[in-house]
Amino acid sequence: MEAQKVDMFIMANGKFFESHHVAQIRDRLLQLDDSKWVVIQTLQFKDPTTSLIVSLLAGSLGIDRFMIGDTGMGVGKLLTCGGLGIWAIIDWFMIMGATREKNILKLQMYL
Amino acid sequence: MITTQEFSYIPGEHEAEKASNSYLMSLLAFIAGLPFPIINLIATIIFYLGNRKDTFFVRWHCTQALLSQFTVLMMNSVGFWWTISIIFSDEVITRKYISYIITILIFNIVEFIATIYTAIKTRKGIHIEWWFYGDLTTLICKPR
Repeated sequence: MEAQKVDMFIMANGKFFESHHVAQIRDRLLQLDDSKWVVIQTLQFKDPTTSLIVSLLAGSLGIDRFMIGDTGMGVGKLLTCGGLGIWAIIDWFMIMGATREKNILKLQMYL
Repeated sequence: MITTQEFSYIPGEHEAEKASNSYLMSLLAFIAGLPFPIINLIATIIFYLGNRKDTFFVRWHCTQALLSQFTVLMMNSVGFWWTISIIFSDEVITRKYISYIITILIFNIVEFIATIYTAIKTRKGIHIEWWFYGDLTTLICKPR
């Protein structure tokens, strides 16, 4: 893929991935066939900041985990009232990283 | 007691954030879980397990935060149950009890300040090693 397109993608979506993964993503995208550009361009990623806001407001109900696609963990959080509050506190600090991990997994499906 | 060391590589922005979060989370869980000393340890263990597949820098700091919480748990647990036995049984307040409570109070304050300091420095990507815990963490946590 053209370097210009890849850089444009990184600029637009860099915040959705872990900073230490960005260089790796760039290399993979450069090696990718041009025909996949349309699919890559239309991918929708979850915003880590939105996840954090949801986690702060409705973390005890597991909605943050449902939102990023961790349904099992979401149900677990919902049934235990956010792990009696402890799990909800932990997720305030973990949810942004978890969202970025989910985003990279989604991108990897097409790389 | 706290030393700044060179890490084997320069951690990225999000790595530093996660490593710093391990200390911040232990502080928050400690405050939220008062007076029960076990809450912060449970929280730190879950946080460590959640990040066990992460980069070396993140794992290293999660392990150091976890190990430091172990000592706090041991000391605070003794103080907690001693206090409970004084309130609910025939035990009386002795000089030993008062000196022990003062000791754990000082220990907790020192640990609290050290954790805040480490969280601030780690957020900037600076590698902080604690006396004893740093060496212990290096022995336990190995790069992949």
